[in-house]
Amino acid sequence: MAQKLKETILNPILKGNPITVLILGVCSSLAVTVELKGACVMALSVIIVTGVSSLICSLLRKTIPNRARIIIQLVVVAMMVILVDQVLKAFAYAIDKQLSVYIGLIITNCIVMGRIEAFALGNKPWPSLLDGVANGVGYGLILVIVAFFRELLGSGTLFGFPVLSSLGYVNNGLMILPPMALILIGCIIWVHRSIDKSLQEK
Amino acid sequence: MNTNSNVYTVIYTTLICVIVAAVLAFASQSLKPKQDANEKAETIRQILTAAQFEFDASSNEAILGFYKSNIAEAFLVDADGQKTGTLDTKTAQIYGVSDLKAQNYNIKGEADYNLPVYIFKNGTTALPIYGAGLWGPVWGYIALDSSCTQIAGAYFDHESETPGLGGKIKDDPEFRAQFAGKTVNTADDVPFHIVKGGAPAGQTNAIDAISGATMTSKGLDEAINIWLKAYSNYAAAANNTTEEE
Repeated sequence: MAQKLKETILNPILKGNPITVLILGVCSSLAVTVELKGACVMALSVIIVTGVSSLICSLLRKTIPNRARIIIQLVVVAMMVILVDQVLKAFAYAIDKQLSVYIGLIITNCIVMGRIEAFALGNKPWPSLLDGVANGVGYGLILVIVAFFRELLGSGTLFGFPVLSSLGYVNNGLMILPPMALILIGCIIWVHRSIDKSLQEK
Repeated sequence: MNTNSNVYTVIYTTLICVIVAAVLAFASQSLKPKQDANEKAETIRQILTAAQFEFDASSNEAILGFYKSNIAEAFLVDADGQKTGTLDTKTAQIYGVSDLKAQNYNIKGEADYNLPVYIFKNGTTALPIYGAGLWGPVWGYIALDSSCTQIAGAYFDHESETPGLGGKIKDDPEFRAQFAGKTVNTADDVPFHIVKGGAPAGQTNAIDAISGATMTSKGLDEAINIWLKAYSNYAAAANNTTEEE
């Protein structure tokens, strides 16, 4: 049992990472990774949404009418997304403005509904919560890695503090633009697959 | 129980929707005061930025405090340029974006309107503008000198313009910087021009539009002109007063 739980947590972060292996949630990872701060808040938001939505759907799993299950999932996810957006608007207004539509668009992130449909509806609440959180972490991890390189090389700062810029580094404007995020994700996928040979397609 | 029957499905989905609606309504109501305070501080930050102040924007209180100590006068004017009311500077009363939207309807519908004027101790007069961009509303603040003929600075914001294109009205400091030093004569039919392809050299009431954002530039141009025209009587009066001095 403990082994199974461990796998539930580790699989989405490594072998079944939503971005690098399942290639889900790429759109938002291009948009919110210009700065580390925004990426961290986005990652945290997705972790909360995937975790709590999975938990709620798992608690309801025996009562949800099969024919209307997608709608029910959608309502639960939408509620969580709106709650997160409202809380950010109240307590982190500047970041919410910066992330603008992308918080609202978490609802369209395939990771959230995918995990509910594939895992939460067939498993007990505790593993479902862990699965949701772990998938959020797997997504957030890539987000933070990409944002780290984009902010460091694009603006010469980390979390807004000058790091490279004080050493006379000239900012690379290309890093700020979305195409570079795609290239970085490509590089991460490349590294990931050369370390874990089992992911390579024959 | 048969969870696949029609009755069960209908009742279940209705119940879920009602519960979710209640949760969201509660969250929205309890967080509203905090959100409104954030929005107000953001609006004041934009006005102050347009009016060429540099200040500590670390907290809402800091922004409000700075505003209160630097505002000289804030009041409302009507189409004739007459004062119709004052905004309390001690409580930093301002016209928010939704108020601007309401006045924009009045201006366009040729109804009576009351527009805010913010006069700062550094000699600038900040006037709001509001209009339609490509995807949603655009608004902002233009700071004029005390005679209302020269622009000291400007700041714009938008709801949903494309990041990197129309979004540059807010994010590109170079676009904003073009406004400083330009002149406006609100008596002109078109007081200000945002010119696609570049403003002609020497024209002092025109700036370059943003390439790739034709509709946003056009919308902003329209918003600026409609609102500056709406202030024309107030501006003329302000100009006369400074000339007499």
